[in-house]
Amino acid sequence: MSDSILVIGGGIAGINCAMNAAKYGTRVYLIDDTPSIGGMMARLDKTFPTNDCSICIEAPQMYEVDNHENIEIITNTEVRKVKKINGTFKVKLMQKAKYVDEEKCTGCGACVEVCPVSVPDPLDGKVGGMRKLVSMAFPQAVPNVVTVDPSCRFGDMRKGGACIGDCAVDCSQCRECPIALCVKACEKEGKKAITLWQSNKKLDLEVKSIVVATGIKNAPPVGDLLGYDKFENVITNTEFERLMNAGGPTSGEIVRPSDKKHAKKIAWIQCAGRGLADGKGTPYCSKICCMVSAKQTIITKEHDASVDATIFYNDLKAYGKGFWEFYRKAKENDVRYVRGRPYEVFEDSRTHNLTLRYEDLDSGDLQTHEVELLVLATGIMANDRNKRLAKALKLKLDDLGYFKEKDPLLSPLETDVDGIYLCGGATGPIDIAESVAQATAASMKAVCVRP
Amino acid sequence: MSDEDIRIGVFVCDCGTNIAGVVDVPAVVAFARGLEHVVLADEGRWSCSVDYLSKMQDLIRENEINRVVVASCTPRTHEPLFKRTTKEAGVNPYLLEFVSIREQVSWVHMKEPEIATEKAKDLVKMGVAKAALLEEGQEIRLPVKTDCLIIGGGMAGMNAALSVADQGFNAYIVEKEPELGGVLNQICFISHDNHKSPAARVIKARADQVRSHPRIKIFTDTQVDKVDGYIGSYTVTLKTNGDESEQNLDISTIIVATGMQEIEPADQFEYGNDPRIITQLQLDNKLKFKQLGDVKNVVMVSCVNSKNETRGCCNIGCHTSVKNAVAIKQLCPDADVHILYRDMSLIKEEGTAQQLAKRLGVKFLRFPDDRYPEVRKQNGDLKVKIYDLLVGKEFELLSDLVVLSTAFKGNNSVEQVKGLLKVSTNPDGFFQESHVKLGPLEFATDGISLAGCAKAPMTFRESSEEGIGAAMKASIPMQKGYIETEGIVADIDLTDCSQCGLCSKRCPYSAIKVDAEENPDVIKALCKGCGLCAADCPNECIGIVHYSDDQVFAQVEAALEKAPAEKIIAYVCHWCALGGVDMAGVSRLQYPSNARLIRVMCSARVSMKMMQRPFELGAAGVLVAGCEFPTCHYIEGNYAAEKRLKRAQKKLAKAGFDPEKLWNVWCSAADGPKFANTMRTMIQDLGL
Ligand SMILES: Cc1cc2nc3c(=O)[nH]c(=O)nc-3n(C[C@H](O)[C@H](O)[C@H](O)COP(=O)(O)OP(=O)(O)OC[C@H]3O[C@@H](n4cnc5c(N)ncnc54)[C@H](O)[C@@H]3O)c2cc1C
Ligand code: SF4
Ligand code: SF4
Ligand code: SF4
Ligand code: SF4
Repeated sequence: MSDSILVIGGGIAGINCAMNAAKYGTRVYLIDDTPSIGGMMARLDKTFPTNDCSICIEAPQMYEVDNHENIEIITNTEVRKVKKINGTFKVKLMQKAKYVDEEKCTGCGACVEVCPVSVPDPLDGKVGGMRKLVSMAFPQAVPNVVTVDPSCRFGDMRKGGACIGDCAVDCSQCRECPIALCVKACEKEGKKAITLWQSNKKLDLEVKSIVVATGIKNAPPVGDLLGYDKFENVITNTEFERLMNAGGPTSGEIVRPSDKKHAKKIAWIQCAGRGLADGKGTPYCSKICCMVSAKQTIITKEHDASVDATIFYNDLKAYGKGFWEFYRKAKENDVRYVRGRPYEVFEDSRTHNLTLRYEDLDSGDLQTHEVELLVLATGIMANDRNKRLAKALKLKLDDLGYFKEKDPLLSPLETDVDGIYLCGGATGPIDIAESVAQATAASMKAVCVRP
Repeated sequence: MSDEDIRIGVFVCDCGTNIAGVVDVPAVVAFARGLEHVVLADEGRWSCSVDYLSKMQDLIRENEINRVVVASCTPRTHEPLFKRTTKEAGVNPYLLEFVSIREQVSWVHMKEPEIATEKAKDLVKMGVAKAALLEEGQEIRLPVKTDCLIIGGGMAGMNAALSVADQGFNAYIVEKEPELGGVLNQICFISHDNHKSPAARVIKARADQVRSHPRIKIFTDTQVDKVDGYIGSYTVTLKTNGDESEQNLDISTIIVATGMQEIEPADQFEYGNDPRIITQLQLDNKLKFKQLGDVKNVVMVSCVNSKNETRGCCNIGCHTSVKNAVAIKQLCPDADVHILYRDMSLIKEEGTAQQLAKRLGVKFLRFPDDRYPEVRKQNGDLKVKIYDLLVGKEFELLSDLVVLSTAFKGNNSVEQVKGLLKVSTNPDGFFQESHVKLGPLEFATDGISLAGCAKAPMTFRESSEEGIGAAMKASIPMQKGYIETEGIVADIDLTDCSQCGLCSKRCPYSAIKVDAEENPDVIKALCKGCGLCAADCPNECIGIVHYSDDQVFAQVEAALEKAPAEKIIAYVCHWCALGGVDMAGVSRLQYPSNARLIRVMCSARVSMKMMQRPFELGAAGVLVAGCEFPTCHYIEGNYAAEKRLKRAQKKLAKAGFDPEKLWNVWCSAADGPKFANTMRTMIQDLGL
């Protein structure tokens, strides 16, 4: 009989769920399928409606769960199979190789410096800087160790069983590759932490309850939505968030992708892609995007008050505590709110400026507006990995891809399987405070399960 | 402990080549050996490796070391590890001082190895000077029993009570109305996930569970009259309405779930002048008791008293109006139902409800933000004038029922409860949680949690979830049997205390109580160690463990012993400012090396004296660095620091120092460039 619980997903919801349960005295496994915990919040710059710095408030919690004696963090790891036997969940996990010995790596970054191969950083999308093939997810990553990208050619060659360079040994057996620069750099530091020969690892856990906290994703712009695929200077709000971020690819300089010049005229389009058919866009209001844009304009104005910021919107969603005041703050900062529906975007091929055509919903007129940078607020969607996880956990998803609750009225956060609970973005579009509140409630349910 | 007994061990880390590649570590070690009280200094290739940690423990034991200085990366990530190691070696972990020579030296002065080495020496010297004065500390515990008071018996309160009681703890629900259920008692249907359930059934199901639970005691028609004490030992006095007798309870934790109420629109929309003009809640009530009658023209007006200068979005009005419009259409299919709105904010499934409403023939008309519909009575008829934004025309709707979706405020007991518990509210009459993002279910004061519409208007489901979450917050100390805080706490020496009471008023956590003789007393388990009180005490009576005045001044003096005129003393808060410093390090931003950093938990710890002392010793400048506004890890320590800085500048001028040399920077933990830039501009402006 196990008295431990498993929390799947290490975003702010998973972190809070784990932390509360651990403080209660329960043992917690906190897993994430990416190399670091932190989730969406680790990518954000500030958070509405207070403009608290996101990583400033999240990192201390990340360190706290990292150091808590009741919590074991397992990253880069997926749930493969779950079986419930006599009230205990037997969980099979698969830990994808980081090609790094987590015990030995100190996160010093010497390997990152020498790695000759850079690839676009998927975190940063279109505004992206480059990332080395061996890299740290972000500076505050927990665990604070690097990961070698599986596409590193040495990794690939190893898979093919080929010999690397002029080395005489069969590399699939070699424990100390002398050729790879990262391996060498690490050795020079005296650590020998890089293990390019590492393979995926299977882990087995037994737990009494499970909390699903797999979060959300930003809806990708599909079908060349408003010129996103064609024009460099059309970006999503998640990408803009990275632009604003002092820890992001441009160190917080709001410059546009085409010429790296400071953008002086920027527009945001709310509900971009909403209502597109076939599950391509979000069919519903994602509720947080209005505040995300308000935040982004306020911060932009803080960076440079002379920037002309316009938000095209239809219905304003300012549902939470302090949200309306936040919207008013944006307006006081001379952010222009236009009730309008942009339907087409053109690029001036010389200046790379964008002209959008929109219908002014107040006057009914068709208008145009020219900007240097265009931000699409594309909404929130269910995490794609939910499908596979739902299958493993034998849970149902709703039409929109979020996990289904058994009875939201009388058994909130419970699922059809006794002992499996939900919180955060796994339940639907959500903000940080709501994620934390739900996570705390889910932890209550999870620790109270009697094995 | 006498001076001779102080035996300091200094452990300097190479961090591979990360530190040793720039700093001459052997020279730093040799330098450390020469410092007073140091009995051992050692160089470690990787101090945090398992091998070295055990070597470190052996060295500590062999040399009877009783103070440890580790010079390596950053306390923000590695202090817990070294604290554990020292503890296991038999040294009280509060006798460890952490010196950061990677993030603050080798990574940011990569091209100036000699200067970097000198700075590393200085930082080690400062660490040793502080270490000599360190005193033992220990985690502080306060016993907590298992009796939880829940104020408010609505959905949040009942859910909280059940969660608490299911663990075998005692829950006491105090409800001022005769019935459990709160605002839900006035509601007909609850809509959710494209379904609806009769509210009465939901309340009954919950209330039956609550009533039959052996560990839940319910006091209806009762109010809290008095609250004394703090977490673990509250005495709560209850008074039953219309009854003179009182009842006392011994309580360990408290959950506030007092809900909200509608703000009736006085003198607006003819409300109060005609029974056919009602609020949304009154409509729900009519639907519930089947008193709607035969209506033909229903007009609903959204955002009444919401989204204006004083109040935000009510969060539930839109979907409530859609839900009730559908209900009316189902009862009276021939009725015309109009919803006049500003923004339709419907999330997820709520959107489907709107489609259903449209299919049933409910009409949605949008009015401009600054041009609300007008209601007037004419010859006994009700008429609603609206400017329809979509068609750009104004017209009038005839109506026999006008329903106003009004704003909400906290229950009218908020002020009273606030006074009893000494917690905060906001101008809307709702309770204010400890942290808008990360502390949604608790107050700043330990032991009191918060749930549901007492905090802000929210849906049924959110309230229920919050009730369960608040129960978790209350249950953690009850389950453990105690609360524990790190031993970095305030300690008052009453010798010079003038009983001004300032400390008690200033503490953001209500951790200082004033007793019957007006003497202040720190409830250590509640203190978070920010040091605000210590910095503000006019008589310097308050010490903070690990950050006492003496210790900080020892660091200042050590730093300024040599070449003070070239140096800047920078006080940085442990959270964001040091985060920014570390970020500058990780990003290898190169900046001038003049600053000697002194870590404090909060910028509010930096007293006027600490701002002035470096100048007396000839320093070139002083910097106070804290969290960027509004992010403060001690609620608003940075605001207190900012105010104090202003006063200090005046004082400095009077004392004959240049106030322009006292700097500040409020920087986020992600903002390495900001810290580095501050260093650069300071050097320029100070002419260094
Ligand atoms: C552009 C943008 C700006 C925003 N700004 C704000 C703001 O200012 N204020 C605010 O309150 N909210 C904001 N939000 C919303 C906020 O980010 C979310 O509310 C919050 O991060 C949700 O937390 P979560 O833990 O539920 O999910 P996430 O942060 O998404 O975390 C989920 C974690 O689970 C992991 N995971 C997923 N699937 C699996 C699996 N199958 N197995 C293992 N691990 C898995 C993921 O890797 C991730 O680490 C913003 C969102 C966006 C997109
Ligand atoms: S060089 Fe080695 S220790 Fe340093 S970050 Fe790379 S793998 Fe980790
Ligand atoms: S082996 Fe290491 S250094 Fe070389 S490309 Fe791969 S990750 Fe980079
Ligand atoms: S501020 Fe100082 S002098 Fe005033 S009551 Fe507190 S301890 Fe005493
Ligand atoms: S140190 Fe801070 S929390 Fe502690 S008593 Fe003083 S002001 Fe209150």
